[in-house]
Amino acid sequence: MRLSTAMLFVPALLSAATTAKPERTITVPPGADVQFTAISPKGDFIAGACKDGQVRVWTLPGGELRQAFNLQDQVVSSMTFSNDGALLAVGGNRGAVKIWAIPSGTLKHEIKVGENVNALALSPNKTLLALARQEHPAQLWDLDVGRMLTELPAKFSGSLALAFSPDGQRLASADADTAIRIYEASTGAIRATVNDLLLETFAITFSADSKDLYAGGADKVISVIDASNGKVVSSFPKQSLVVGELHGSPDGKLLVALYFDEKSFRNPAPAIVWDIAGQSTQTNFSEPGVTPNGSGFSKNGRVLITSTSGSQLQIWSLR
Amino acid sequence: MPILRPALTRREILENCLALGSLAIASSTPAAAMLGAMQDRELEHRRPTPPNEIGPFYKKRAPETAMLRSPGDAGMPLAVSGQVFNTRADKLSNAVVEVWQTDHLGHYDLDGYRYRAKLPVDNNGGYKFDSVMPGHYPDRVCQHVHYLVTAPGHKPLVTQLYFSTDPVFEGDPDRNFGRDPLIHSRELVRPVVLSGDPKTIEAVVRFELVLELL
Repeated sequence: MRLSTAMLFVPALLSAATTAKPERTITVPPGADVQFTAISPKGDFIAGACKDGQVRVWTLPGGELRQAFNLQDQVVSSMTFSNDGALLAVGGNRGAVKIWAIPSGTLKHEIKVGENVNALALSPNKTLLALARQEHPAQLWDLDVGRMLTELPAKFSGSLALAFSPDGQRLASADADTAIRIYEASTGAIRATVNDLLLETFAITFSADSKDLYAGGADKVISVIDASNGKVVSSFPKQSLVVGELHGSPDGKLLVALYFDEKSFRNPAPAIVWDIAGQSTQTNFSEPGVTPNGSGFSKNGRVLITSTSGSQLQIWSLR
Repeated sequence: MPILRPALTRREILENCLALGSLAIASSTPAAAMLGAMQDRELEHRRPTPPNEIGPFYKKRAPETAMLRSPGDAGMPLAVSGQVFNTRADKLSNAVVEVWQTDHLGHYDLDGYRYRAKLPVDNNGGYKFDSVMPGHYPDRVCQHVHYLVTAPGHKPLVTQLYFSTDPVFEGDPDRNFGRDPLIHSRELVRPVVLSGDPKTIEAVVRFELVLELL
Protein backbone atom coordinates (compact mmCIF):
# COMPACT_ATOMS: atom_id res chain seq x y z
CA MET A 1 0.00 0.00 0.00
CA ARG A 2 1.23 3.40 -0.93
CA LEU A 3 1.01 5.59 2.12
CA SER A 4 0.72 9.27 1.53
CA THR A 5 0.59 10.66 5.03
CA ALA A 6 3.06 13.45 5.51
CA MET A 7 4.95 13.26 8.73
CA LEU A 8 7.07 15.89 10.35
CA PHE A 9 9.38 14.99 13.15
CA VAL A 10 10.77 17.49 15.53
CA PRO A 11 13.98 16.67 17.36
CA ALA A 12 13.40 14.68 20.50
CA LEU A 13 13.88 16.78 23.57
CA LEU A 14 15.65 15.75 26.68
CA SER A 15 12.39 14.84 28.30
CA ALA A 16 11.42 15.55 31.86
CA ALA A 17 8.06 15.41 33.54
CA THR A 18 5.73 18.07 32.19
CA THR A 19 8.20 19.32 29.62
CA ALA A 20 6.94 22.33 27.75
CA LYS A 21 7.06 20.63 24.35
CA PRO A 22 6.05 17.19 23.16
CA GLU A 23 8.89 14.78 22.58
CA ARG A 24 7.59 13.93 19.16
CA THR A 25 5.12 15.43 16.75
CA ILE A 26 3.51 13.60 13.86
CA THR A 27 1.72 15.60 11.21
CA VAL A 28 -1.32 14.14 9.48
CA PRO A 29 -2.99 15.51 6.34
CA PRO A 30 -5.21 18.57 6.71
CA GLY A 31 -8.62 17.56 8.00
CA ALA A 32 -7.34 14.25 9.37
CA ASP A 33 -6.81 15.42 12.95
CA VAL A 34 -6.27 12.58 15.38
CA GLN A 35 -9.32 12.25 17.63
CA PHE A 36 -7.88 9.68 20.05
CA THR A 37 -5.08 7.17 20.20
CA ALA A 38 -4.23 3.66 21.40
CA ILE A 39 -0.70 2.69 22.35
CA SER A 40 0.29 -0.98 22.18
CA PRO A 41 1.07 -2.45 25.62
CA LYS A 42 4.69 -3.09 24.66
CA GLY A 43 5.06 0.48 23.50
CA ASP A 44 6.04 -0.33 19.93
CA PHE A 45 3.04 1.05 18.00
CA ILE A 46 0.61 3.90 18.28
CA ALA A 47 -2.74 3.97 16.45
CA GLY A 48 -4.59 7.20 15.80
CA ALA A 49 -8.30 7.44 15.00
CA CYS A 50 -8.36 10.29 12.51
CA LYS A 51 -11.12 12.68 11.58
CA ASP A 52 -10.95 11.57 7.94
CA GLY A 53 -12.10 8.08 8.98
CA GLN A 54 -8.65 6.53 8.72
CA VAL A 55 -6.86 4.67 11.49
CA ARG A 56 -3.17 5.35 11.09
CA VAL A 57 -0.58 3.19 12.80
CA TRP A 58 2.92 4.49 13.48
CA THR A 59 5.93 2.87 15.06
CA LEU A 60 7.25 3.99 18.41
CA PRO A 61 9.55 5.63 19.13
CA GLY A 62 10.37 6.29 15.46
CA GLY A 63 6.98 7.59 14.37
CA GLU A 64 7.07 5.87 10.97
CA LEU A 65 3.70 5.33 9.39
CA ARG A 66 3.15 1.59 8.98
CA GLN A 67 -0.52 1.22 8.10
CA ALA A 68 -3.68 3.13 7.38
CA PHE A 69 -7.04 1.40 7.68
CA ASN A 70 -10.64 2.43 7.51
CA LEU A 71 -14.11 1.14 8.28
CA GLN A 72 -15.46 2.36 4.93
CA ASP A 73 -17.77 5.24 5.77
CA GLN A 74 -17.94 4.73 9.55
CA VAL A 75 -16.44 6.97 12.18
CA VAL A 76 -13.94 5.15 14.38
CA SER A 77 -15.37 4.96 17.89
CA SER A 78 -13.05 2.54 19.70
CA MET A 79 -9.65 0.90 19.33
CA THR A 80 -7.54 -1.55 21.29
CA PHE A 81 -4.34 -3.52 20.80
CA SER A 82 -3.79 -7.07 21.94
CA ASN A 83 -1.35 -7.41 24.82
CA ASP A 84 1.51 -8.36 22.48
CA GLY A 85 0.65 -5.59 20.02
CA ALA A 86 0.16 -8.12 17.22
CA LEU A 87 -3.53 -7.28 16.69
CA LEU A 88 -5.40 -4.01 16.48
CA ALA A 89 -9.18 -4.09 16.90
CA VAL A 90 -11.17 -1.11 15.65
CA GLY A 91 -14.87 -0.41 16.14
CA GLY A 92 -17.10 2.01 14.26
CA ASN A 93 -20.10 4.18 14.99
CA ARG A 94 -22.45 1.96 12.98
CA GLY A 95 -21.34 -1.39 14.26
CA ALA A 96 -18.35 -2.45 12.17
CA VAL A 97 -15.51 -4.21 13.97
CA LYS A 98 -12.32 -5.14 12.18
CA ILE A 99 -9.18 -6.72 13.56
CA TRP A 100 -5.92 -6.32 11.70
CA ALA A 101 -2.53 -7.93 12.22
CA ILE A 102 0.18 -5.42 13.05
CA PRO A 103 2.46 -4.53 11.37
CA SER A 104 1.49 -6.59 8.30
CA GLY A 105 -1.94 -5.00 7.97
CA THR A 106 -3.63 -8.32 7.20
CA LEU A 107 -7.35 -8.27 8.01
CA LYS A 108 -7.83 -11.15 10.46
CA HIS A 109 -11.44 -10.81 11.63
CA GLU A 110 -14.52 -8.84 10.75
CA ILE A 111 -17.71 -8.58 12.81
CA LYS A 112 -20.83 -6.53 12.24
CA VAL A 113 -23.22 -5.45 14.94
CA GLY A 114 -25.95 -2.88 14.66
CA GLU A 115 -24.83 -0.17 17.02
CA ASN A 116 -22.02 2.18 17.83
CA VAL A 117 -19.13 0.21 19.31
CA ASN A 118 -18.26 1.93 22.58
CA ALA A 119 -15.35 -0.20 23.66
CA LEU A 120 -13.31 -3.25 22.71
CA ALA A 121 -11.07 -5.66 24.60
CA LEU A 122 -8.95 -8.56 23.32
CA SER A 123 -8.07 -11.47 25.58
CA PRO A 124 -4.36 -12.03 26.22
CA ASN A 125 -4.32 -15.17 24.05
CA LYS A 126 -6.15 -13.25 21.27
CA THR A 127 -8.98 -15.81 20.98
CA LEU A 128 -11.71 -13.71 22.62
CA LEU A 129 -13.08 -10.30 21.81
CA ALA A 130 -15.41 -8.33 24.06
CA LEU A 131 -17.28 -5.49 22.43
CA ALA A 132 -19.56 -2.89 23.99
CA ARG A 133 -22.53 -1.62 21.99
CA GLN A 134 -24.29 1.68 22.51
CA GLU A 135 -27.47 1.16 24.56
CA HIS A 136 -27.31 -2.64 24.08
CA PRO A 137 -25.68 -5.50 25.98
CA ALA A 138 -21.99 -6.05 25.41
CA GLN A 139 -21.00 -9.22 23.60
CA LEU A 140 -18.27 -11.82 24.02
CA TRP A 141 -17.00 -13.36 20.77
CA ASP A 142 -14.88 -16.42 20.10
CA LEU A 143 -12.57 -15.26 17.34
CA ASP A 144 -11.34 -18.75 16.47
CA VAL A 145 -14.76 -19.91 15.34
CA GLY A 146 -16.16 -16.48 14.57
CA ARG A 147 -19.29 -16.63 16.69
CA MET A 148 -20.76 -14.80 19.63
CA LEU A 149 -20.50 -16.78 22.86
CA THR A 150 -22.83 -14.71 24.99
CA GLU A 151 -24.14 -11.28 25.83
CA LEU A 152 -23.14 -9.45 29.00
CA PRO A 153 -26.39 -7.89 30.16
CA ALA A 154 -26.43 -4.68 32.13
CA LYS A 155 -29.81 -3.61 33.53
CA PHE A 156 -30.03 -0.99 30.78
CA SER A 157 -27.96 0.86 28.20
CA GLY A 158 -25.07 -1.54 27.87
CA SER A 159 -21.42 -1.07 28.75
CA LEU A 160 -18.91 1.74 28.55
CA ALA A 161 -15.57 0.01 29.13
CA LEU A 162 -14.20 -3.53 29.00
CA ALA A 163 -11.00 -5.20 30.18
CA PHE A 164 -9.55 -8.71 30.32
CA SER A 165 -7.29 -9.65 33.21
CA PRO A 166 -3.65 -10.24 32.23
CA ASP A 167 -3.94 -13.92 33.22
CA GLY A 168 -6.90 -14.25 30.85
CA GLN A 169 -9.22 -15.61 33.52
CA ARG A 170 -11.53 -12.63 34.02
CA LEU A 171 -13.39 -10.10 31.91
CA ALA A 172 -14.76 -6.91 33.47
CA SER A 173 -17.38 -4.54 32.11
CA ALA A 174 -18.18 -1.03 33.33
CA ASP A 175 -21.88 -0.64 32.71
CA ALA A 176 -24.16 2.34 32.22
CA ASP A 177 -26.30 1.23 35.18
CA THR A 178 -23.17 2.20 37.22
CA ALA A 179 -22.36 -1.41 38.11
CA ILE A 180 -19.10 -3.11 37.26
CA ARG A 181 -19.48 -6.79 36.47
CA ILE A 182 -16.72 -9.36 36.52
CA TYR A 183 -17.13 -12.47 34.39
CA GLU A 184 -15.42 -15.76 33.73
CA ALA A 185 -13.63 -14.75 30.57
CA SER A 186 -14.03 -18.02 28.68
CA THR A 187 -17.78 -18.36 29.23
CA GLY A 188 -19.13 -14.98 30.21
CA ALA A 189 -20.54 -16.41 33.45
CA ILE A 190 -20.96 -13.67 36.06
CA ARG A 191 -18.56 -13.98 38.99
CA ALA A 192 -19.01 -10.69 40.88
CA THR A 193 -20.93 -7.43 40.65
CA VAL A 194 -19.74 -4.11 42.03
CA ASN A 195 -22.81 -2.14 43.08
CA ASP A 196 -21.12 0.45 45.31
CA LEU A 197 -20.47 3.05 42.61
CA LEU A 198 -23.13 5.73 42.17
CA LEU A 199 -21.96 7.21 38.88
CA GLU A 200 -20.91 5.75 35.56
CA THR A 201 -17.41 4.31 35.17
CA PHE A 202 -15.54 5.11 31.95
CA ALA A 203 -12.24 3.30 32.43
CA ILE A 204 -11.21 -0.04 33.92
CA THR A 205 -7.97 -1.96 33.92
CA PHE A 206 -6.69 -4.93 35.90
CA SER A 207 -3.57 -4.92 38.00
CA ALA A 208 -0.55 -6.67 36.54
CA ASP A 209 -1.15 -9.68 38.83
CA SER A 210 -4.87 -9.80 37.84
CA LYS A 211 -5.94 -9.60 41.49
CA ASP A 212 -7.29 -6.06 41.48
CA LEU A 213 -9.39 -4.00 39.13
CA TYR A 214 -8.91 -0.23 38.92
CA ALA A 215 -11.98 1.75 37.95
CA GLY A 216 -12.48 5.46 37.34
CA GLY A 217 -15.28 7.62 36.02
CA ALA A 218 -17.71 10.38 36.80
CA ASP A 219 -17.17 10.06 40.57
CA LYS A 220 -13.65 11.47 40.04
CA VAL A 221 -11.91 8.78 42.02
CA ILE A 222 -10.00 5.64 41.09
CA SER A 223 -11.49 2.72 42.99
CA VAL A 224 -9.50 -0.42 43.74
CA ILE A 225 -11.73 -3.49 43.47
CA ASP A 226 -10.90 -7.00 44.60
CA ALA A 227 -11.42 -8.93 41.37
CA SER A 228 -12.25 -12.13 43.24
CA ASN A 229 -15.34 -10.79 45.00
CA GLY A 230 -16.13 -7.35 43.58
CA LYS A 231 -15.54 -5.48 46.83
CA VAL A 232 -14.20 -1.94 46.67
CA VAL A 233 -11.18 -2.15 48.95
CA SER A 234 -9.80 1.39 48.63
CA SER A 235 -9.90 4.57 46.59
CA PHE A 236 -7.23 6.92 45.35
CA PRO A 237 -7.57 10.56 46.45
CA LYS A 238 -10.53 12.25 44.78
CA GLN A 239 -9.73 14.77 42.05
CA SER A 240 -11.80 17.66 40.73
CA LEU A 241 -12.22 16.13 37.26
CA VAL A 242 -13.69 12.98 35.75
CA VAL A 243 -11.53 9.93 35.01
CA GLY A 244 -11.68 9.06 31.32
CA GLU A 245 -8.89 6.57 30.72
CA LEU A 246 -6.64 4.27 32.78
CA HIS A 247 -3.55 2.26 31.90
CA GLY A 248 -1.29 0.28 34.20
CA SER A 249 2.43 -0.02 33.66
CA PRO A 250 3.74 -3.45 32.70
CA ASP A 251 5.65 -3.71 35.99
CA GLY A 252 2.46 -3.06 37.95
CA LYS A 253 3.83 -0.03 39.77
CA LEU A 254 2.23 2.90 37.96
CA LEU A 255 -1.22 3.86 36.77
CA VAL A 256 -1.67 6.65 34.26
CA ALA A 257 -5.06 8.34 34.38
CA LEU A 258 -6.48 10.80 31.86
CA TYR A 259 -9.02 13.21 33.24
CA PHE A 260 -11.63 15.39 31.59
CA ASP A 261 -13.68 18.35 32.63
CA GLU A 262 -17.36 17.46 32.92
CA LYS A 263 -18.23 20.99 31.86
CA SER A 264 -16.86 20.13 28.42
CA PHE A 265 -14.84 17.23 27.12
CA ARG A 266 -12.90 19.69 24.99
CA ASN A 267 -11.52 21.71 27.87
CA PRO A 268 -7.84 21.27 28.70
CA ALA A 269 -7.38 18.63 31.38
CA PRO A 270 -4.53 16.91 33.16
CA ALA A 271 -3.11 13.43 33.20
CA ILE A 272 -1.86 12.02 36.48
CA VAL A 273 0.67 9.26 36.91
CA TRP A 274 -0.16 7.46 40.14
CA ASP A 275 2.13 5.35 42.27
CA ILE A 276 -0.13 2.35 42.89
CA ALA A 277 1.40 1.11 46.13
CA GLY A 278 1.25 4.51 47.79
CA GLN A 279 -1.88 5.69 45.97
CA SER A 280 -0.02 8.95 45.59
CA THR A 281 0.63 11.26 42.68
CA GLN A 282 3.96 10.63 41.01
CA THR A 283 3.57 13.10 38.17
CA ASN A 284 0.88 15.60 37.30
CA PHE A 285 0.93 16.41 33.59
CA SER A 286 -0.88 19.62 32.84
CA GLU A 287 0.01 21.86 29.92
CA PRO A 288 -1.88 25.00 28.92
CA GLY A 289 -4.30 24.29 26.11
CA VAL A 290 -3.53 20.58 26.04
CA THR A 291 -6.32 17.98 26.23
CA PRO A 292 -4.82 14.49 26.44
CA ASN A 293 -6.46 12.00 24.09
CA GLY A 294 -4.46 8.85 24.74
CA SER A 295 -1.86 7.33 26.99
CA GLY A 296 0.38 4.33 27.49
CA PHE A 297 3.93 3.29 28.20
CA SER A 298 7.03 3.26 26.04
CA LYS A 299 9.37 0.32 25.62
CA ASN A 300 11.67 1.74 28.27
CA GLY A 301 8.86 2.29 30.77
CA ARG A 302 8.24 5.99 30.30
CA VAL A 303 4.71 7.32 30.38
CA LEU A 304 3.40 8.49 27.02
CA ILE A 305 0.60 11.04 26.71
CA THR A 306 -0.86 12.06 23.37
CA SER A 307 -2.71 15.18 22.38
CA THR A 308 -3.82 16.82 19.17
CA SER A 309 -3.16 20.32 17.96
CA GLY A 310 -4.70 20.81 14.55
CA SER A 311 -3.10 18.35 12.17
CA GLN A 312 -0.34 17.50 14.62
CA LEU A 313 -0.35 14.49 16.89
CA GLN A 314 1.79 15.34 19.88
CA ILE A 315 3.45 12.64 21.94
CA TRP A 316 4.60 13.70 25.36
CA SER A 317 7.03 11.57 27.31
CA LEU A 318 7.23 11.61 31.10
CA ARG A 319 9.96 10.01 33.11
CA MET B 1 -40.81 19.15 -0.84
CA PRO B 2 -41.37 21.36 2.20
CA ILE B 3 -44.33 20.58 4.38
CA LEU B 4 -46.56 23.64 4.29
CA ARG B 5 -48.97 22.58 6.98
CA PRO B 6 -49.21 19.88 9.61
CA ALA B 7 -50.35 16.51 8.34
CA LEU B 8 -54.00 15.75 8.97
CA THR B 9 -54.91 13.62 11.93
CA ARG B 10 -56.76 10.44 11.29
CA ARG B 11 -59.84 12.06 12.80
CA GLU B 12 -59.56 15.00 10.40
CA ILE B 13 -59.18 12.65 7.45
CA LEU B 14 -62.24 10.70 8.47
CA GLU B 15 -64.26 13.86 9.10
CA ASN B 16 -63.29 15.13 5.65
CA CYS B 17 -64.26 11.83 4.11
CA LEU B 18 -67.64 12.01 5.80
CA ALA B 19 -68.16 15.62 4.75
CA LEU B 20 -67.23 14.90 1.16
CA GLY B 21 -69.32 11.78 1.02
CA SER B 22 -66.44 9.43 0.36
CA LEU B 23 -67.22 7.57 3.56
CA ALA B 24 -70.66 6.59 4.74
CA ILE B 25 -71.51 5.17 8.11
CA ALA B 26 -74.27 2.62 7.97
CA SER B 27 -75.39 3.08 11.53
CA SER B 28 -77.79 5.08 13.57
CA THR B 29 -74.91 6.10 15.85
CA PRO B 30 -73.81 9.68 15.27
CA ALA B 31 -70.62 10.00 13.27
CA ALA B 32 -68.83 11.87 16.06
CA ALA B 33 -69.49 9.03 18.48
CA MET B 34 -68.22 6.52 15.93
CA LEU B 35 -65.05 8.51 15.44
CA GLY B 36 -64.55 8.78 19.18
CA ALA B 37 -64.91 5.04 19.54
CA MET B 38 -62.33 4.55 16.78
CA GLN B 39 -59.91 6.83 18.59
CA ASP B 40 -60.43 4.94 21.82
CA ARG B 41 -59.56 1.72 20.01
CA GLU B 42 -56.42 3.29 18.64
CA LEU B 43 -55.40 4.30 22.15
CA GLU B 44 -55.57 0.67 23.21
CA HIS B 45 -52.22 0.25 21.58
CA ARG B 46 -49.55 2.87 22.03
CA ARG B 47 -46.28 3.12 20.27
CA PRO B 48 -43.27 2.81 22.60
CA THR B 49 -41.49 6.04 23.39
CA PRO B 50 -38.35 6.24 21.24
CA PRO B 51 -35.24 5.46 23.26
CA ASN B 52 -32.38 7.91 23.44
CA GLU B 53 -28.88 7.53 24.78
CA ILE B 54 -28.29 7.55 28.51
CA GLY B 55 -25.33 9.91 28.37
CA PRO B 56 -22.35 9.89 30.70
CA PHE B 57 -23.77 11.37 33.89
CA TYR B 58 -26.50 9.12 35.23
CA LYS B 59 -26.30 8.85 39.03
CA LYS B 60 -28.27 6.26 40.92
CA ARG B 61 -30.01 6.68 44.29
CA ALA B 62 -31.44 10.08 43.43
CA PRO B 63 -33.76 11.56 46.07
CA GLU B 64 -37.49 10.94 45.79
CA THR B 65 -38.99 14.34 45.10
CA ALA B 66 -41.00 16.17 42.46
CA MET B 67 -39.34 19.51 43.22
CA LEU B 68 -35.95 19.73 41.53
CA ARG B 69 -35.43 23.45 41.84
CA SER B 70 -34.66 25.31 45.03
CA PRO B 71 -36.04 28.71 46.02
CA GLY B 72 -34.12 31.43 44.23
CA ASP B 73 -32.69 29.19 41.52
CA ALA B 74 -31.93 31.10 38.35
CA GLY B 75 -33.49 30.06 35.09
CA MET B 76 -36.92 29.70 33.54
CA PRO B 77 -39.19 27.62 35.80
CA LEU B 78 -40.17 24.39 34.10
CA ALA B 79 -43.14 22.13 34.90
CA VAL B 80 -43.17 18.72 33.22
CA SER B 81 -45.94 16.16 33.56
CA GLY B 82 -47.13 13.04 31.83
CA GLN B 83 -48.32 9.50 32.26
CA VAL B 84 -46.53 6.20 32.07
CA PHE B 85 -48.19 3.55 29.92
CA ASN B 86 -47.21 0.35 28.28
CA THR B 87 -47.87 -0.51 24.66
CA ARG B 88 -51.23 -2.05 25.66
CA ALA B 89 -52.17 1.40 27.04
CA ASP B 90 -52.16 0.11 30.64
CA LYS B 91 -51.35 2.88 33.09
CA LEU B 92 -48.26 1.87 35.01
CA SER B 93 -48.71 3.05 38.58
CA ASN B 94 -45.77 0.92 39.70
CA ALA B 95 -43.32 2.59 37.32
CA VAL B 96 -40.21 4.31 38.61
CA VAL B 97 -39.29 7.49 36.76
CA GLU B 98 -35.83 8.97 37.24
CA VAL B 99 -34.85 12.28 35.65
CA TRP B 100 -31.62 14.25 35.57
CA GLN B 101 -30.57 17.41 33.79
CA THR B 102 -28.17 20.34 33.90
CA ASP B 103 -28.85 23.59 35.70
CA HIS B 104 -29.79 26.63 33.64
CA LEU B 105 -26.12 27.14 32.71
CA GLY B 106 -25.65 23.65 31.32
CA HIS B 107 -23.75 22.17 34.27
CA TYR B 108 -24.41 18.71 35.69
CA ASP B 109 -24.01 18.14 39.40
CA LEU B 110 -21.83 15.06 39.83
CA ASP B 111 -20.94 15.62 43.45
CA GLY B 112 -24.52 15.92 44.71
CA TYR B 113 -28.06 15.47 43.43
CA ARG B 114 -28.99 18.91 42.15
CA TYR B 115 -31.53 18.53 39.34
CA ARG B 116 -31.75 14.79 39.84
CA ALA B 117 -34.80 13.00 41.19
CA LYS B 118 -36.80 9.84 41.44
CA LEU B 119 -40.36 10.96 40.80
CA PRO B 120 -43.53 9.85 42.53
CA VAL B 121 -45.97 8.09 40.18
CA ASP B 122 -49.69 8.15 41.04
CA ASN B 123 -52.35 5.48 40.62
CA ASN B 124 -52.99 6.57 37.04
CA GLY B 125 -49.36 6.35 36.09
CA GLY B 126 -49.10 10.12 36.31
CA TYR B 127 -45.89 11.90 37.13
CA LYS B 128 -44.81 15.52 37.30
CA PHE B 129 -41.87 17.59 38.40
CA ASP B 130 -40.89 21.20 38.78
CA SER B 131 -37.44 22.30 37.67
CA VAL B 132 -35.79 24.94 35.55
CA MET B 133 -35.27 24.87 31.81
CA PRO B 134 -31.89 23.15 31.40
CA GLY B 135 -29.07 25.08 29.79
CA HIS B 136 -27.09 23.99 26.77
CA TYR B 137 -24.45 21.48 27.82
CA PRO B 138 -21.35 22.48 25.84
CA ASP B 139 -20.82 19.05 24.28
CA ARG B 140 -24.44 18.71 23.19
CA VAL B 141 -26.48 20.73 20.77
CA CYS B 142 -29.89 20.89 22.45
CA GLN B 143 -31.37 21.42 25.89
CA HIS B 144 -32.57 18.12 27.28
CA VAL B 145 -33.78 16.16 30.30
CA HIS B 146 -32.69 12.55 30.74
CA TYR B 147 -35.22 9.86 31.68
CA LEU B 148 -34.83 6.34 32.99
CA VAL B 149 -38.19 4.60 33.40
CA THR B 150 -38.55 1.12 34.80
CA ALA B 151 -41.52 -1.05 35.70
CA PRO B 152 -41.81 -4.74 36.55
CA GLY B 153 -42.45 -6.83 33.46
CA HIS B 154 -41.35 -4.08 31.10
CA LYS B 155 -38.22 -3.20 29.20
CA PRO B 156 -36.41 -0.26 30.85
CA LEU B 157 -36.83 2.94 28.86
CA VAL B 158 -33.86 5.28 28.58
CA THR B 159 -34.74 8.43 26.70
CA GLN B 160 -34.47 12.21 26.64
CA LEU B 161 -36.97 15.06 26.50
CA TYR B 162 -36.29 18.01 24.20
CA PHE B 163 -38.08 21.35 23.89
CA SER B 164 -39.67 22.81 20.78
CA THR B 165 -38.63 26.27 21.98
CA ASP B 166 -34.93 25.38 21.92
CA PRO B 167 -33.26 28.20 19.95
CA VAL B 168 -31.37 25.57 17.99
CA PHE B 169 -34.61 24.69 16.18
CA GLU B 170 -35.21 28.31 15.12
CA GLY B 171 -38.92 27.84 15.67
CA ASP B 172 -39.17 24.88 13.30
CA PRO B 173 -38.43 21.62 15.13
CA ASP B 174 -40.04 19.61 12.33
CA ARG B 175 -37.34 20.75 9.99
CA ASN B 176 -34.46 21.30 12.39
CA PHE B 177 -34.61 18.59 15.06
CA GLY B 178 -31.80 16.77 13.27
CA ARG B 179 -29.40 19.58 14.10
CA ASP B 180 -28.68 17.60 17.25
CA PRO B 181 -27.27 14.33 15.94
CA LEU B 182 -28.46 12.54 19.06
CA ILE B 183 -32.12 13.32 18.40
CA HIS B 184 -33.23 10.37 16.35
CA SER B 185 -36.97 11.02 16.65
CA ARG B 186 -39.01 14.19 16.26
CA GLU B 187 -41.41 12.71 18.79
CA LEU B 188 -39.00 13.50 21.62
CA VAL B 189 -39.21 17.23 20.94
CA ARG B 190 -42.24 18.34 22.93
CA PRO B 191 -44.32 21.50 22.65
CA VAL B 192 -43.76 24.14 25.33
CA VAL B 193 -46.60 26.25 26.67
CA LEU B 194 -45.75 29.42 28.55
CA SER B 195 -48.07 29.78 31.51
CA GLY B 196 -48.69 32.33 34.27
CA ASP B 197 -48.31 36.08 34.37
CA PRO B 198 -45.11 37.87 33.38
CA LYS B 199 -43.75 37.72 36.93
CA THR B 200 -44.40 34.02 37.48
CA ILE B 201 -44.12 32.69 33.99
CA GLU B 202 -43.14 29.05 33.58
CA ALA B 203 -42.63 26.64 30.72
CA VAL B 204 -45.14 23.79 30.80
CA VAL B 205 -44.45 20.56 28.97
CA ARG B 206 -46.26 17.26 28.69
CA PHE B 207 -44.33 14.11 27.93
CA GLU B 208 -46.03 10.70 27.88
CA LEU B 209 -43.90 7.63 28.40
CA VAL B 210 -44.72 4.27 26.85
CA LEU B 211 -42.82 1.16 27.87
CA GLU B 212 -42.50 -2.07 25.95
CA LEU B 213 -43.57 -5.32 27.59
CA LEU B 214 -40.90 -7.90 28.18
